[in-house]
Amino acid sequence: MIEMVRRFLRQRLGSPAMVIALGILAVLTAMQAAVSNAEQAFGTGFLAILLIGAGAVSKDASGGALQMILVRPIRRTSYLFGRYLGILLVFVIYVAAAGALTPLIARIVPYPSPGRSASDVSFADLGRGAASAFLNCLLFAAIILFFSTFLRGYADVLALILLQIVLGLLPQIPQAWVKRAAPVLRDNVLPYVDWREVLRASGAMGEPVGRWALAVTVFLVLAALVFSRREFSYGHD
Amino acid sequence: MISIRGVSKTYGGGLRRRKRALDGITLEVQRGEALGLIGPNGAGKTTLLSCLLGFLRPERGTISIEGLPPDDLAVRAKTGYMPERLGFDRDLTGGAFLAQHWRLAGGDPGETAAQAAAAAARVGLDGDVLRRRLSGYSRGMLQRIGIAQATLRDPELLFLDEPASGTDPLGVATVRDRIFEAKKRGATIVLNSHQLAEVEKVCDRVVFIDGGRLTQAQTLRGDAPASRRAMLRVPPEGRQGAIAALAGAGFIAEEGADDALRFPVENEEALARAVKALALADVPVLEARSSADLEDMFRRRGSP
Repeated sequence: MIEMVRRFLRQRLGSPAMVIALGILAVLTAMQAAVSNAEQAFGTGFLAILLIGAGAVSKDASGGALQMILVRPIRRTSYLFGRYLGILLVFVIYVAAAGALTPLIARIVPYPSPGRSASDVSFADLGRGAASAFLNCLLFAAIILFFSTFLRGYADVLALILLQIVLGLLPQIPQAWVKRAAPVLRDNVLPYVDWREVLRASGAMGEPVGRWALAVTVFLVLAALVFSRREFSYGHD
Repeated sequence: MISIRGVSKTYGGGLRRRKRALDGITLEVQRGEALGLIGPNGAGKTTLLSCLLGFLRPERGTISIEGLPPDDLAVRAKTGYMPERLGFDRDLTGGAFLAQHWRLAGGDPGETAAQAAAAAARVGLDGDVLRRRLSGYSRGMLQRIGIAQATLRDPELLFLDEPASGTDPLGVATVRDRIFEAKKRGATIVLNSHQLAEVEKVCDRVVFIDGGRLTQAQTLRGDAPASRRAMLRVPPEGRQGAIAALAGAGFIAEEGADDALRFPVENEEALARAVKALALADVPVLEARSSADLEDMFRRRGSP
C-alpha cells in the first residue's frame, strides 16, 4: 500500500498543472482566512478534493497502468486504499499550505473591514477550519473513489457533483413520498456535519457524526467490493 | 502448471451486442514449456491471456496455475507480464518505472537502483535512456523496457503479448534473447504473437485460436515434433531436374510463386537427404531451409 500512496503522491505532485492549481486554491483559501472568518475559509477545499481525486482509479484503468500493477503480488484493496490515502495526503498538503500562507497573506492584504489587523487571525479558528475541511474530505474522497471504480475518465467527480445536485433538488419535487424520502436520503448519503461545532467539543458523539462515519464506511466498503469484482481488459482480440 | 478447462467468455450483454470471445478452450501448459498463441485478429488470444492473468473471469470453465486461481498472490509473485501496449504514468522516467515494478514485484528495496539498471542493460538501454521520461520513448524502446520489467526477479511464469511488435531487428533479437534466457532457467512462457518466425524460434508448441476456439495445435520441439516444410532454391535451368531428383528420393516438391521448391519433410535430417539427392544429380543448391510452416495453420483455417 505504501508503494501505491507513493505513486499517487508522485502522480499528483509531479504534475506542474496540478501543483499550480492547488497552489492557487491554497492562496485563495489563505486570502479568505486572512480577511474574513478563518474557520469558514476552507470552502474551496471541495474544489481541491475534486482536483486531487479526479480519475483516481479510472484513469489508471483506461491507461493500462492498473493492469500492470494488478499483475504484481498486490491486493486490489491495497491498491484502492493506497489511492484513498493518497487523496487524503495531498489534501493535507493543500490544507497545510493554505494554513501556512494565511499569516503571510494577512500581513500583505489590506483588510476590508476597519478595525481588523493581521494579529486578528485566530490560529484556533484556522485549525478548526482545516480539520473540518479534512473531515469533509474523508467522505468526499470515499465517494469519488467509489465512483472511480466503475466509471470512466473523470466521470467520478462529475458523479459526485451530480449526486449533490440531485440530493439538493429532491425536496423540490412535489410528490409527498419524495418529500419524505429526500431528507432521509440526504442525511444518509451525504450527511452534513457542522464540524466546527463538533470540534468545539459539542456533539462529538451526535447522530450526524454517526451518519457521517457510516457513510464513509459504506462508500469505502462498496468501492472495495466493486473493485474486487471488476474485470479489466486491454483489448477484445 | 497451467490448466485451462472448458473456458468460455462473452463480452457485451444488456443493451450491447453479445460477442463470444472464447468458446470452450481446453489446454494444458507444462512447466518449462513455451507455448505460442497464434490466430487471426479478433480470434480471442488477448482475451485468453487476460483470463490467464486474472483480469477477466470466464463465465464457464476453470483456469488454474499450479492448482491456484490466476489472481492468487502466490501466482502473482512469480508472474511476469508484458502487454502489447505498455501502461505507464506519463511522467515516469524509464529508471523510475523499472524501480517501481521491482518494488511492486516484492524485490529488495535496497537493490532497486542496481536491479533496475541491470534489467535495462540486458535489453540494451543505458543510463541516459533511463533518465528520460517514458512518454518520450519510441515504440521499440517501450517494448524493450517492457520486456525488462516483465523479466524482473526472474519470474517462473512469463506472459508476453506481442513482445517484439514495433521493434527494429536488433530489438527483436534482444526480446528473443530474453525469452531464451527465461526458457533456459525453466520459466513457463505463454507468447501471443503474429510474428510467426519468432514464435517458431522460441516456442515448443503452438496453438491456433480462431473464433474463440482452439482449432489446431502443433508441437515444434520435444518428443513428437510436427512435420516441417522445406524450401529449396535452385537455378531456373535446374528446376525440372531438381523436381525429378527429389521425387527419386521420395520428396514431392512443388514450384512456388517465388520460384522456390517446397515440400514437406519430417525433420532437418530429411532436408539434408534432399540436398544430398540434388548434389548427386548435379543440381546446385542456392538455398535450403525448413520451418514449421505456421502460415499453413492460417491457410488450413476453415478447411475441413
